[in-house]
Amino acid sequence: MNLTNTQFVFEGKTKRILYGGMALGVLCLVLSFLNDDEYHTRFWTNFLHNSVYFTGIALMAMFFMAAQITAFAGWNTVIRRILEGTSQFMWVGIILMGIIAAGVWLHFHHLYHWNDPNVNVTDPAAPHYDRIIAGKKGFLNPVFFTIATVGFLALWYFWARNVRKLSIAQDTEETASFDYYKKIRRWSASFLPIAGFLSPVLLWQAVMSLDPHWYSTMFAWYSTASMWLGSISFTVLIIIYLKSKGYLEYVTHDHLHDVGKYLFGISVFWTYLWFDQFMLIWYANNGEETIYFKERMNHYPVLFWGNLLMNFVAPFLILMRNDTKRKFGTMFFVALIVFFGHWWDFFYMIKPGARIAAFEAKELAEGGHETSHSAAPISGAQHEETATTAEQPAETHSEDPAAAHSDADTAHSEEAAAQTESAADHGTPAAEAATAAAGHGDEGGHGGDAHGGSHAEAAEPNSFRLGFTVPGLEEIGVMIGFLSLFLFFLFGQLERVSLIPWKDPFLEESLHHETGALIESEQVEGGGHH
Amino acid sequence: MAAQSKKVLYGLYNDEEELKSAIKTANAQHLDIMDVFTPFPVHGLDPILGLKESRLHIMGFVYGAIGALFAFLAMTWIFTSDWPIVFGGKPYWSVPAFIPIVFENTVLYSAWGMTITFYTVCGMWPGVKAKTLDNRITDDKFCIAFDVSDAPEGDVKNLQGFFTKTGAAEVNVKMM
Repeated sequence: MNLTNTQFVFEGKTKRILYGGMALGVLCLVLSFLNDDEYHTRFWTNFLHNSVYFTGIALMAMFFMAAQITAFAGWNTVIRRILEGTSQFMWVGIILMGIIAAGVWLHFHHLYHWNDPNVNVTDPAAPHYDRIIAGKKGFLNPVFFTIATVGFLALWYFWARNVRKLSIAQDTEETASFDYYKKIRRWSASFLPIAGFLSPVLLWQAVMSLDPHWYSTMFAWYSTASMWLGSISFTVLIIIYLKSKGYLEYVTHDHLHDVGKYLFGISVFWTYLWFDQFMLIWYANNGEETIYFKERMNHYPVLFWGNLLMNFVAPFLILMRNDTKRKFGTMFFVALIVFFGHWWDFFYMIKPGARIAAFEAKELAEGGHETSHSAAPISGAQHEETATTAEQPAETHSEDPAAAHSDADTAHSEEAAAQTESAADHGTPAAEAATAAAGHGDEGGHGGDAHGGSHAEAAEPNSFRLGFTVPGLEEIGVMIGFLSLFLFFLFGQLERVSLIPWKDPFLEESLHHETGALIESEQVEGGGHH
Repeated sequence: MAAQSKKVLYGLYNDEEELKSAIKTANAQHLDIMDVFTPFPVHGLDPILGLKESRLHIMGFVYGAIGALFAFLAMTWIFTSDWPIVFGGKPYWSVPAFIPIVFENTVLYSAWGMTITFYTVCGMWPGVKAKTLDNRITDDKFCIAFDVSDAPEGDVKNLQGFFTKTGAAEVNVKMM
């Protein structure tokens, strides 16, 4: 078969656009750093959010490819080089997650409450001893955090790099044979359990521990499915982009149909996991679990419902039909929604928890020295009843006793919720009273005044705040920056070798791939089948 | 029975590529193919046979929607007015708890509905005797069949010539 345009060229114009995108990302990161609370929560959550999402895309591209190679799948050989190139981004992911891990050691961010430098929550002698976090000390500590993020990523990258190397070496074969394929398959098959068992640990450490009291056994599945969908939708977007540039003419709508089936199927899988997590927690009604959803449903309704709309309703209804999965325009539209939707999903997982952590850090840092007399271990309910909590915020906002009390209520609402659901219920109206008393809950309107912002933030962690309640322009800018970096890296990888693995034993099968779908409109056009 | 008197001329091919090229030749010669039988679904066969897109999936959606609606409304009625019971302190009308059942019922209605519709359309009911041209078409042979009940001798000769030319391994006539 005569195939043309199999060598990708990374044009200067594309490079300049991507440099522009990266510059925009850096600008938005700097902007969010300057215009932020004292812990730079918005900056660090943006950084963490995009690092996790884009590294996850690379990881799941490798996982997706490894699963197909292990299963001797033939259809995907023509798009394998895209997945290979995407998986190499894990190398950058090591650096990105390394910065987060370094921050855990050196405390230049306060993302994780379990790592709070001002109040040692895991020390039984300390005034703010936290029984629940102390119980997780063996897992939630800087050493394990570093192993789980940087260490595991390095391990996965080692596998991804070997598969990539073998795949490039395969091109030098005389004729297509299984010699290299068998080696690639050995690496792919061994990657599956390694990534499958270790990726949850990364997600627990980097994302779930933002809410250190909360735990969910469904979380790793659900967020892995989220990363996987990010990866699949990204692959769709790249295929369509490359086709628009005149490459990949041999990738037909039959290939797109199969990727579309994955996009549809994994979207349903994601919804299943999302709902499983939600319903089990809703049904059990166990305070320390329920607070996670209560917080998000009450204070982040746009994130909560938007998530379901973009990641379930849209792909489910649009991709249900056979022919929509085969149309490049429709698939581009859906992939764009899903790609943004899962970015949104990680936003929803990360932002509220980190916001509470920063709020608690501030409260404890300010109240910590005041309450040092209380050496006894305090659990949530006791904390509520003792005078300790009433004293502590009185220092911060002394104007109104009602506001002071409700501050204490909100600060420990997670612990309160651990005892009874009614305690958590009680927290909400009291917190609303605090907004009224403090008078300025809306941080978004404060613009450049960082101190005004941080004050409002400390007074009311649940009020509307741009960049937390909904993604602001800075978040979009940061995403464009990371996406540009990602594309820059991917295009560099694509340029290195031919877009076709010429000597792959499954290449012929892939080039003649047909799904057997019968679409009347296509027959009228005469497209697809010969 | 009327269906018994059909006279069928059929040729058996050894693989699906031969079959596909033979069908294309038949199309070019404007031969009226009665049916094609294969041991497994052959990709790309439907368009060259000029078959229409199946509408079964539309019914699948309709059955699924009916199932979902029925489950939801039934549970709403049962748990709010017919027999209200408090489960774990939840309200009577607890939508999240309904969703798994709505989902299961959607799948159930859709699956049964499509199966029954498919069997009805194909006339496959319990006790129906299978009309098989040749047992080997369920194993490793690919078959093209022509209805030659009313065909003149010349046409049958022509069809036999077609089978020989396109590489059929075997040509037979059978009354069905």
